[in-house]
Amino acid sequence: MWFRHRRVLVGKILLLLVILVVVGLTSLGCVKGLQSIGWSGGAVSGGTLFVGSKEGRLVAVNIADESRQWSEPLKTSTPTGGFGCAPMAGGGCAGAPAGVAIYGTPAVSEDLVYIGGYNGKIYAFNSSSLATRWVYPREGNLAPIVGGLVVAQGKVYFGCSDGKVYALDAATGDRQWEFETGDKIWATPVIDGDRLFIGSFDNKLYALGATDGSQKWKFETGGAIVSVPLVHDNTVYIGSFDRYLYAVDATDGSLRWKFMGENWFWAKPVVFNNTVYAGCLDGKVYALDVRNGDKVAEFNLESPISSSPVMVNSSIIFASQKGVIYTLDTGSNKLKRLVDIEEEVYGPLCASDGVVYIHTQDLTLHRVNANTGAILMSISLKSKE
Amino acid sequence: MDLNYWELIVQQPVINILIVLSHYLASSFGLAIIALTIIVNFCILPLTLKQINAMKGMQTLQPKLAELQKKYAKDRQKLAQEQMKLYKESGMNPAGCLLPMLVQMPIWVALFQSIMLSLAVAPEGLLNLSKYLYAWPVVYSILPLGKDFLWLNLAKPDMFLAILVGGTMWLQQKMSMPATADPKQQAQSRMMLWMMPLMFGFLCLSFPSGLALFWVTSSVIRIAMQYYSTGWGGLVPSTAGKQVIRDRRYKRRIALEEVPLKEADIGADIVEPTSTEEEELGYEKVGDEWQDRGGGYPARPGAFGRLPRRDRGHRRKRR
Repeated sequence: MWFRHRRVLVGKILLLLVILVVVGLTSLGCVKGLQSIGWSGGAVSGGTLFVGSKEGRLVAVNIADESRQWSEPLKTSTPTGGFGCAPMAGGGCAGAPAGVAIYGTPAVSEDLVYIGGYNGKIYAFNSSSLATRWVYPREGNLAPIVGGLVVAQGKVYFGCSDGKVYALDAATGDRQWEFETGDKIWATPVIDGDRLFIGSFDNKLYALGATDGSQKWKFETGGAIVSVPLVHDNTVYIGSFDRYLYAVDATDGSLRWKFMGENWFWAKPVVFNNTVYAGCLDGKVYALDVRNGDKVAEFNLESPISSSPVMVNSSIIFASQKGVIYTLDTGSNKLKRLVDIEEEVYGPLCASDGVVYIHTQDLTLHRVNANTGAILMSISLKSKE
Repeated sequence: MDLNYWELIVQQPVINILIVLSHYLASSFGLAIIALTIIVNFCILPLTLKQINAMKGMQTLQPKLAELQKKYAKDRQKLAQEQMKLYKESGMNPAGCLLPMLVQMPIWVALFQSIMLSLAVAPEGLLNLSKYLYAWPVVYSILPLGKDFLWLNLAKPDMFLAILVGGTMWLQQKMSMPATADPKQQAQSRMMLWMMPLMFGFLCLSFPSGLALFWVTSSVIRIAMQYYSTGWGGLVPSTAGKQVIRDRRYKRRIALEEVPLKEADIGADIVEPTSTEEEELGYEKVGDEWQDRGGGYPARPGAFGRLPRRDRGHRRKRR
């Protein structure tokens, strides 16, 4: 009897182990960073802030009275998985949002707001009613879109995970041209005059003609490029996965200088007073001389910086991934800790009237006074379904 | 940078090794997964063999345990004592099967997590991966890792690989399944035989196929080890039937051995089995060597030599 009980017990332990393994694998499968959640930044236009929420909706927030308006949710392109994490749009894990992930910051032009989804579609919404004006492509989906959009000269420009740069007619969504690179594109393009600059996973920075998509030059780095280029004074500043920040001549694509950090430069740099301020995933902000890349100063934020900073007057506001907000006085090159919002920050910051808007991973738009560091009432982006 | 002990000691080295392996294996993450799975299996080979041998040993004890259970059905204390005695005499530990398995589990979980993290299927994954990287130039430049391997996109589920995971797991389970006449134990084994492969196969339909590749490789390696250690095991259809017959013969023999002891040891002799009897017990002679045909009793004809000295002396004295 005793042994029978013991054997039954061993059997039960084995069964429990199997269940534990399966449940463990299921939950561990959802280890951090495997779900596509999104990190859209905000764009302010005419007193309204537009942001892509983690529910997969475009949200318009009236800055004056904090009233909000939600678009229809973007439609997923693939069904989510059973137990594990479906790699596309949304994912199937508990805790992941049900909607399409939105990584790019919306772009506003005239009466339209444009946004790209991880479902591989570009949407144009009416900025006042948030009614859909057009969708590209009308049928089917492109590969996931991670970078943001740029609107200029009547065109919408974006890069796609299928490795192509697209230019669409801003009014109708008709394709104007496309340019194929050697690998995925997760970066946001930048327009400077008649040129478009964009980085690709094929390690190259491309300069294209904004009108026809013709290649002007390309510059090869030692790693993939996901960061947004900064164009200033005929120089393109771009970070690469080889841990270098490059300064490249915008005219011919020749290297001016490069500076090595201790990890990737993911966030977009800022130039002010002949100094480049570049946040790095090693947790430091490097202040570099624009002429030769010499390090002027470095500031330790003690947590990776993936969020692109924003300028408020003569100060640059940085956010670390841990959610600590800092202000860097460009005059004295002094870093001051403003406040800890205690939420993870990945997406770019945005500012209006001395208030910094921070979209965190908890469906909330946090607001911080850029001068005093006072935390203002946060705004929930959760839709009233 | 902000890594806990598990991430620092386990995940970070494994992730970096995976990335470096990818670099040296033609930038193929698929090959890196296979290579690392082989390396890890090689490193824990002693543990795995110990587990397989422990299971094999426990199987050989089953008839004896069943007999003891029948004999001392009404005396639990005595049953426990006899069982412990049997385990001690045969050098077996009931926890011997579970312990290596428990030790291996964190290793598999670490591998599993590292593969998932290295795959960086979502943008958040790639961003998160940066904190695990060592300051080796090769590590930074090769990222993000290429997801294509054979017909697979390692970041997406694959139906064929899911079936392959289920199939190889079933095969491995079947090979290690104990041959037993106990219907309860048979039912338990049958449940295990189907439950694990079905669950893992189902999981693979929603996990990236890079993970399925790891599971297939692991199962294939374990099949090879199992074959090396116990042969085809449960895959040979006649084994179970033979086992039942052998069980009966063994029980008869045990009964013959036990009766005289109970009756004040009045001189019943144990006779060394003849070669014909040996064959009946599951051995056959090939050339000058005795080979195990998969029976559940003493591992070879000379196995009595392994018994404690007291028992051997007892036998000699009787002879």
